[in-house]
Amino acid sequence: MLRKLVFLFVLSLFISSSFAQQQSHASNSIELGLAFGGSQGTLTGAYIHNWRLGRKQKFEIGLGGRLTTYVGANQYYSTAPAKLTSGSTGPGVFFKENITANMDTFLIARPQVLAINAMINFGYLITPKFYVGFNIDVIGFSLGQEKSGNYINGSQGQNTTGKPTPFNLLLVSDNDLGTLNSEFYGRYKVNEKLSIKTGFQFLFTEYTTSTEVQQFPEPNDRFRNKSGLFTIGVSLTLK
Amino acid sequence: MKQILILFFVIVITSCKEDEGTPSGPVDDTFNPATATLIKSGTLVGVGHTVSGTAAIYEGGGKKTVLLDPYSSQNGPDLKVYLSKDEKASSYISLGKLKSIEGKQSYEIPNNPDVTDYKFVLVWCEQFTVIFGKAELK
Repeated sequence: MLRKLVFLFVLSLFISSSFAQQQSHASNSIELGLAFGGSQGTLTGAYIHNWRLGRKQKFEIGLGGRLTTYVGANQYYSTAPAKLTSGSTGPGVFFKENITANMDTFLIARPQVLAINAMINFGYLITPKFYVGFNIDVIGFSLGQEKSGNYINGSQGQNTTGKPTPFNLLLVSDNDLGTLNSEFYGRYKVNEKLSIKTGFQFLFTEYTTSTEVQQFPEPNDRFRNKSGLFTIGVSLTLK
Repeated sequence: MKQILILFFVIVITSCKEDEGTPSGPVDDTFNPATATLIKSGTLVGVGHTVSGTAAIYEGGGKKTVLLDPYSSQNGPDLKVYLSKDEKASSYISLGKLKSIEGKQSYEIPNNPDVTDYKFVLVWCEQFTVIFGKAELK
Protein backbone atom coordinates (compact mmCIF):
# COMPACT_ATOMS: atom_id res chain seq x y z
CA MET A 1 0.00 0.00 0.00
CA LEU A 2 2.80 2.40 0.95
CA ARG A 3 4.64 1.69 -2.27
CA LYS A 4 1.54 2.51 -4.29
CA LEU A 5 1.09 5.80 -2.44
CA VAL A 6 4.74 6.69 -3.03
CA PHE A 7 4.40 5.86 -6.70
CA LEU A 8 1.21 7.93 -7.14
CA PHE A 9 2.68 10.87 -5.22
CA VAL A 10 5.86 10.94 -7.27
CA LEU A 11 3.95 10.48 -10.51
CA SER A 12 1.55 13.32 -9.73
CA LEU A 13 4.39 15.69 -8.85
CA PHE A 14 6.28 14.75 -11.98
CA ILE A 15 3.28 15.26 -14.25
CA SER A 16 2.35 18.53 -12.56
CA SER A 17 5.87 19.82 -12.88
CA SER A 18 6.21 18.77 -16.49
CA PHE A 19 3.20 20.79 -17.50
CA ALA A 20 4.10 23.80 -15.45
CA GLN A 21 5.81 26.85 -16.83
CA GLN A 22 9.44 26.29 -17.66
CA GLN A 23 10.74 29.38 -15.87
CA SER A 24 12.62 28.10 -12.84
CA HIS A 25 14.58 29.29 -9.84
CA ALA A 26 17.18 27.18 -8.16
CA SER A 27 18.29 26.83 -4.57
CA ASN A 28 20.86 24.79 -2.72
CA SER A 29 20.46 23.36 0.74
CA ILE A 30 22.09 21.01 3.18
CA GLU A 31 20.09 18.80 5.50
CA LEU A 32 20.95 16.90 8.66
CA GLY A 33 18.55 14.29 9.98
CA LEU A 34 18.07 11.74 12.70
CA ALA A 35 15.68 8.79 12.41
CA PHE A 36 14.86 6.01 14.83
CA GLY A 37 12.43 3.21 15.66
CA GLY A 38 12.41 -0.54 16.33
CA SER A 39 15.94 -0.86 17.74
CA GLN A 40 17.50 0.89 14.78
CA GLY A 41 18.31 4.36 13.62
CA THR A 42 20.05 6.52 11.06
CA LEU A 43 22.00 9.74 10.90
CA THR A 44 21.77 11.42 7.51
CA GLY A 45 23.44 14.33 5.80
CA ALA A 46 22.41 15.56 2.37
CA TYR A 47 23.16 18.24 -0.18
CA ILE A 48 20.31 19.10 -2.56
CA HIS A 49 20.00 21.38 -5.57
CA ASN A 50 16.34 22.16 -6.20
CA TRP A 51 14.63 23.81 -9.16
CA ARG A 52 11.36 25.60 -8.57
CA LEU A 53 8.84 25.08 -11.31
CA GLY A 54 5.41 26.29 -12.31
CA ARG A 55 3.65 29.60 -12.67
CA LYS A 56 3.51 30.08 -8.91
CA GLN A 57 6.90 28.45 -8.27
CA LYS A 58 5.37 25.97 -5.87
CA PHE A 59 6.74 22.72 -7.28
CA GLU A 60 10.31 21.61 -6.77
CA ILE A 61 12.44 18.95 -8.35
CA GLY A 62 15.92 18.40 -7.01
CA LEU A 63 19.06 16.36 -7.32
CA GLY A 64 21.57 15.75 -4.59
CA GLY A 65 23.68 13.39 -2.59
CA ARG A 66 22.96 11.75 0.74
CA LEU A 67 25.09 10.01 3.31
CA THR A 68 23.16 7.56 5.50
CA THR A 69 24.73 6.00 8.58
CA TYR A 70 22.63 3.11 9.82
CA VAL A 71 22.95 1.16 13.08
CA GLY A 72 20.66 -1.50 14.44
CA ALA A 73 20.34 -4.16 17.08
CA ASN A 74 19.21 -7.74 16.41
CA GLN A 75 17.77 -7.10 12.98
CA TYR A 76 16.23 -9.75 10.74
CA TYR A 77 17.20 -9.58 7.06
CA SER A 78 15.00 -11.45 4.57
CA THR A 79 15.73 -12.97 1.17
CA ALA A 80 16.26 -10.02 -1.18
CA PRO A 81 16.19 -10.88 -4.91
CA ALA A 82 12.85 -10.25 -6.60
CA LYS A 83 13.20 -13.50 -8.50
CA LEU A 84 12.87 -15.32 -5.18
CA THR A 85 10.56 -13.00 -3.27
CA SER A 86 8.08 -12.53 -6.13
CA GLY A 87 8.92 -15.26 -8.64
CA SER A 88 9.76 -12.75 -11.39
CA THR A 89 11.85 -9.65 -12.06
CA GLY A 90 9.62 -7.50 -14.28
CA PRO A 91 7.84 -4.27 -13.28
CA GLY A 92 4.93 -6.41 -12.06
CA VAL A 93 6.87 -7.33 -8.89
CA PHE A 94 5.68 -3.97 -7.55
CA PHE A 95 2.23 -5.43 -7.07
CA LYS A 96 3.13 -9.00 -6.08
CA GLU A 97 3.02 -10.50 -2.63
CA ASN A 98 6.08 -12.31 -1.26
CA ILE A 99 6.35 -16.05 -1.81
CA THR A 100 6.62 -17.12 1.83
CA ALA A 101 8.18 -20.50 1.04
CA ASN A 102 11.15 -18.76 -0.61
CA MET A 103 11.81 -16.32 2.23
CA ASP A 104 14.70 -17.16 4.56
CA THR A 105 16.26 -15.01 7.26
CA PHE A 106 19.69 -13.69 8.19
CA LEU A 107 19.76 -12.37 11.77
CA ILE A 108 22.50 -9.82 12.51
CA ALA A 109 23.14 -8.74 16.09
CA ARG A 110 24.78 -5.39 15.29
CA PRO A 111 24.28 -4.30 11.67
CA GLN A 112 26.06 -1.11 10.62
CA VAL A 113 25.98 0.36 7.13
CA LEU A 114 27.34 3.58 5.65
CA ALA A 115 25.66 4.41 2.33
CA ILE A 116 26.51 7.25 -0.05
CA ASN A 117 23.89 7.74 -2.74
CA ALA A 118 22.72 10.19 -5.36
CA MET A 119 19.13 11.15 -4.64
CA ILE A 120 16.17 12.92 -6.21
CA ASN A 121 13.72 15.20 -4.43
CA PHE A 122 10.16 16.22 -5.21
CA GLY A 123 8.28 18.83 -3.24
CA TYR A 124 5.42 21.27 -3.06
CA LEU A 125 5.22 24.60 -1.26
CA ILE A 126 1.82 24.57 0.46
CA THR A 127 2.27 27.96 2.11
CA PRO A 128 5.26 30.34 2.10
CA LYS A 129 6.46 28.60 5.26
CA PHE A 130 5.26 25.00 4.89
CA TYR A 131 6.55 22.52 2.36
CA VAL A 132 5.93 18.80 1.83
CA GLY A 133 8.21 16.52 -0.08
CA PHE A 134 9.47 13.11 -0.97
CA ASN A 135 13.03 12.07 -1.72
CA ILE A 136 14.63 8.79 -2.66
CA ASP A 137 18.13 7.44 -3.24
CA VAL A 138 18.86 6.30 -6.77
CA ILE A 139 22.41 5.02 -7.08
CA GLY A 140 25.53 4.79 -4.96
CA PHE A 141 27.62 2.51 -2.82
CA SER A 142 27.74 1.12 0.70
CA LEU A 143 30.47 0.39 3.18
CA GLY A 144 30.56 -1.59 6.40
CA GLN A 145 32.45 -4.16 8.41
CA GLU A 146 31.90 -7.87 8.02
CA LYS A 147 29.42 -9.01 10.67
CA SER A 148 28.62 -12.43 12.01
CA GLY A 149 25.01 -13.46 11.72
CA ASN A 150 22.65 -16.38 11.90
CA TYR A 151 21.09 -17.73 8.70
CA ILE A 152 17.75 -19.30 9.60
CA ASN A 153 15.72 -21.57 7.32
CA GLY A 154 12.95 -23.08 9.40
CA SER A 155 14.60 -25.37 11.95
CA GLN A 156 17.86 -25.44 9.97
CA GLY A 157 20.50 -22.80 10.46
CA GLN A 158 24.07 -21.69 9.93
CA ASN A 159 26.20 -19.11 11.63
CA THR A 160 28.04 -17.21 8.97
CA THR A 161 29.22 -13.69 8.09
CA GLY A 162 28.00 -10.96 5.79
CA LYS A 163 28.94 -7.48 4.55
CA PRO A 164 26.79 -4.63 3.26
CA THR A 165 26.07 -5.13 -0.44
CA PRO A 166 28.56 -2.70 -2.03
CA PHE A 167 26.52 -1.35 -4.95
CA ASN A 168 23.18 0.44 -4.53
CA LEU A 169 20.66 0.92 -7.34
CA LEU A 170 17.00 1.90 -7.33
CA LEU A 171 14.97 -0.29 -9.68
CA VAL A 172 11.45 -1.53 -9.05
CA SER A 173 10.43 -2.93 -5.67
CA ASP A 174 12.50 -6.00 -4.70
CA ASN A 175 14.64 -5.60 -7.82
CA ASP A 176 16.43 -2.85 -5.87
CA LEU A 177 20.04 -3.45 -4.95
CA GLY A 178 21.83 -2.47 -1.76
CA THR A 179 21.05 0.25 0.75
CA LEU A 180 18.56 2.92 -0.33
CA ASN A 181 16.91 5.58 1.77
CA SER A 182 13.73 7.56 1.15
CA GLU A 183 11.64 10.08 3.08
CA PHE A 184 8.16 11.57 3.16
CA TYR A 185 8.50 14.80 5.03
CA GLY A 186 7.05 18.13 5.99
CA ARG A 187 9.31 21.17 6.38
CA TYR A 188 8.64 24.40 8.25
CA LYS A 189 10.61 27.54 7.42
CA VAL A 190 11.83 29.16 10.62
CA ASN A 191 13.66 31.99 8.82
CA GLU A 192 15.24 32.67 5.43
CA LYS A 193 18.08 30.23 6.10
CA LEU A 194 16.78 27.65 8.52
CA SER A 195 13.94 25.12 8.26
CA ILE A 196 12.99 22.20 10.48
CA LYS A 197 11.65 18.99 9.03
CA THR A 198 9.94 15.84 10.25
CA GLY A 199 8.46 12.82 8.59
CA PHE A 200 8.72 9.15 7.78
CA GLN A 201 11.88 7.48 6.57
CA PHE A 202 11.69 4.20 4.65
CA LEU A 203 15.08 2.52 4.45
CA PHE A 204 16.31 -0.62 2.71
CA THR A 205 19.59 -2.02 4.02
CA GLU A 206 21.12 -5.09 2.42
CA TYR A 207 23.78 -7.62 3.42
CA THR A 208 25.54 -10.14 1.22
CA THR A 209 26.60 -13.30 3.03
CA SER A 210 30.09 -14.75 2.57
CA THR A 211 28.63 -17.84 0.89
CA GLU A 212 25.33 -18.61 -0.78
CA VAL A 213 23.72 -19.88 2.39
CA GLN A 214 20.24 -20.11 0.90
CA GLN A 215 19.90 -23.02 -1.49
CA PHE A 216 16.14 -23.27 -2.12
CA PRO A 217 14.65 -22.60 -4.64
CA GLU A 218 18.05 -21.45 -5.91
CA PRO A 219 21.34 -20.27 -4.39
CA ASN A 220 21.18 -16.80 -2.80
CA ASP A 221 23.46 -14.63 -0.72
CA ARG A 222 21.49 -11.32 -0.57
CA PHE A 223 19.27 -10.39 2.38
CA ARG A 224 17.32 -7.16 2.90
CA ASN A 225 15.93 -5.33 5.91
CA LYS A 226 13.10 -2.82 5.41
CA SER A 227 12.84 -0.20 8.12
CA GLY A 228 10.14 2.38 8.78
CA LEU A 229 11.58 5.16 10.95
CA PHE A 230 10.41 8.45 12.41
CA THR A 231 12.70 11.24 11.28
CA ILE A 232 13.49 14.78 12.41
CA GLY A 233 16.04 17.18 11.03
CA VAL A 234 17.09 20.63 9.96
CA SER A 235 17.61 22.15 6.54
CA LEU A 236 19.92 25.08 5.83
CA THR A 237 19.35 27.04 2.63
CA LEU A 238 22.63 28.11 1.05
CA LYS A 239 21.28 30.26 -1.76
CA MET B 1 27.78 17.41 16.56
CA LYS B 2 29.09 15.31 19.44
CA GLN B 3 25.90 15.89 21.40
CA ILE B 4 23.80 14.82 18.40
CA LEU B 5 25.79 11.59 18.06
CA ILE B 6 25.42 10.81 21.77
CA LEU B 7 21.68 11.49 21.60
CA PHE B 8 21.38 9.29 18.53
CA PHE B 9 23.06 6.27 20.12
CA VAL B 10 21.12 6.72 23.36
CA ILE B 11 17.84 6.68 21.42
CA VAL B 12 18.81 3.59 19.42
CA ILE B 13 20.04 1.70 22.45
CA THR B 14 17.10 2.60 24.66
CA SER B 15 14.66 1.64 21.92
CA CYS B 16 16.02 -1.95 21.95
CA LYS B 17 13.35 -4.53 22.75
CA GLU B 18 15.35 -7.30 24.34
CA ASP B 19 13.73 -10.69 24.53
CA GLU B 20 12.64 -11.45 28.06
CA GLY B 21 14.68 -14.09 29.86
CA THR B 22 14.11 -17.84 29.72
CA PRO B 23 11.64 -19.22 32.32
CA SER B 24 13.45 -19.98 35.55
CA GLY B 25 10.99 -22.38 37.22
CA PRO B 26 12.17 -26.03 37.18
CA VAL B 27 10.65 -28.26 34.49
CA ASP B 28 10.26 -32.04 34.55
CA ASP B 29 9.34 -33.38 31.10
CA THR B 30 7.72 -36.81 30.91
CA PHE B 31 10.13 -38.31 28.36
CA ASN B 32 11.22 -41.73 29.66
CA PRO B 33 14.71 -42.75 28.44
CA ALA B 34 14.03 -46.37 29.41
CA THR B 35 11.62 -46.62 26.45
CA ALA B 36 14.21 -45.45 23.88
CA THR B 37 17.70 -46.28 22.66
CA LEU B 38 20.61 -44.04 23.62
CA ILE B 39 22.52 -42.96 20.51
CA LYS B 40 25.13 -40.65 22.08
CA SER B 41 25.58 -38.33 25.02
CA GLY B 42 27.90 -35.74 26.55
CA THR B 43 28.47 -33.40 29.45
CA LEU B 44 27.22 -29.83 29.24
CA VAL B 45 29.76 -27.15 30.05
CA GLY B 46 29.45 -23.40 30.03
CA VAL B 47 31.21 -21.17 27.50
CA GLY B 48 31.65 -17.80 29.16
CA HIS B 49 28.47 -18.56 31.10
CA THR B 50 27.35 -21.00 33.78
CA VAL B 51 25.86 -24.17 32.26
CA SER B 52 25.93 -27.72 33.63
CA GLY B 53 24.22 -31.04 33.08
CA THR B 54 24.04 -33.87 30.56
CA ALA B 55 22.77 -33.91 26.98
CA ALA B 56 21.84 -37.07 25.11
CA ILE B 57 20.15 -38.17 21.90
CA TYR B 58 17.63 -41.01 22.14
CA GLU B 59 15.78 -42.83 19.37
CA GLY B 60 12.45 -44.53 19.79
CA GLY B 61 9.02 -44.73 18.21
CA GLY B 62 10.36 -43.52 14.84
CA LYS B 63 11.68 -40.26 16.18
CA LYS B 64 14.79 -38.87 17.79
CA THR B 65 14.86 -36.75 20.94
CA VAL B 66 17.47 -34.63 22.68
CA LEU B 67 17.20 -34.95 26.44
CA LEU B 68 18.80 -32.46 28.83
CA ASP B 69 18.78 -34.20 32.22
CA PRO B 70 19.85 -32.81 34.52
CA TYR B 71 20.10 -29.24 33.26
CA SER B 72 21.01 -26.01 34.98
CA SER B 73 22.26 -22.66 33.67
CA GLN B 74 22.25 -18.97 34.29
CA ASN B 75 19.53 -16.99 32.57
CA GLY B 76 19.82 -15.04 29.32
CA PRO B 77 17.75 -13.60 26.51
CA ASP B 78 16.49 -15.68 23.57
CA LEU B 79 18.20 -18.94 24.58
CA LYS B 80 17.77 -21.74 22.02
CA VAL B 81 18.81 -25.39 21.91
CA TYR B 82 20.75 -26.35 18.78
CA LEU B 83 21.91 -29.74 17.54
CA SER B 84 25.02 -28.72 15.65
CA LYS B 85 27.75 -30.20 13.49
CA ASP B 86 30.36 -28.07 15.30
CA GLU B 87 30.61 -25.80 18.31
CA LYS B 88 30.40 -22.64 16.13
CA ALA B 89 26.89 -23.57 14.96
CA SER B 90 28.04 -23.27 11.37
CA SER B 91 25.40 -25.87 10.51
CA TYR B 92 22.69 -26.74 13.00
CA ILE B 93 19.13 -27.85 13.62
CA SER B 94 17.20 -25.59 15.95
CA LEU B 95 15.23 -27.54 18.56
CA GLY B 96 13.46 -24.42 19.76
CA LYS B 97 13.57 -22.21 22.81
CA LEU B 98 15.19 -23.48 25.97
CA LYS B 99 12.19 -24.42 28.13
CA SER B 100 13.76 -23.47 31.43
CA ILE B 101 17.10 -22.81 33.02
CA GLU B 102 16.46 -25.65 35.48
CA GLY B 103 15.29 -29.25 35.21
CA LYS B 104 14.77 -32.23 32.91
CA GLN B 105 13.70 -31.22 29.41
CA SER B 106 13.24 -33.06 26.12
CA TYR B 107 13.29 -31.74 22.55
CA GLU B 108 12.11 -33.76 19.55
CA ILE B 109 14.45 -33.41 16.55
CA PRO B 110 12.31 -32.32 13.57
CA ASN B 111 12.13 -34.54 10.45
CA ASN B 112 13.99 -37.43 12.15
CA PRO B 113 17.36 -36.69 10.43
CA ASP B 114 20.52 -38.80 10.37
CA VAL B 115 22.40 -37.38 13.38
CA THR B 116 25.77 -38.98 12.68
CA ASP B 117 27.37 -35.65 11.73
CA TYR B 118 25.72 -33.69 14.55
CA LYS B 119 28.30 -33.85 17.31
CA PHE B 120 27.26 -31.02 19.63
CA VAL B 121 24.26 -29.86 21.60
CA LEU B 122 24.54 -26.10 22.05
CA VAL B 123 22.69 -23.65 24.26
CA TRP B 124 22.79 -20.55 22.13
CA CYS B 125 21.68 -16.96 22.60
CA GLU B 126 20.21 -16.35 19.16
CA GLN B 127 19.49 -12.67 19.64
CA PHE B 128 23.15 -11.85 20.24
CA THR B 129 24.74 -14.74 18.31
CA VAL B 130 26.54 -15.96 21.43
CA ILE B 131 27.16 -19.51 22.68
CA PHE B 132 26.12 -20.14 26.29
CA GLY B 133 27.03 -23.79 26.70
CA LYS B 134 27.91 -26.94 24.81
CA ALA B 135 28.01 -30.71 25.10
CA GLU B 136 30.17 -32.80 22.81
CA LEU B 137 28.23 -35.97 22.05
CA LYS B 138 30.07 -39.32 21.92
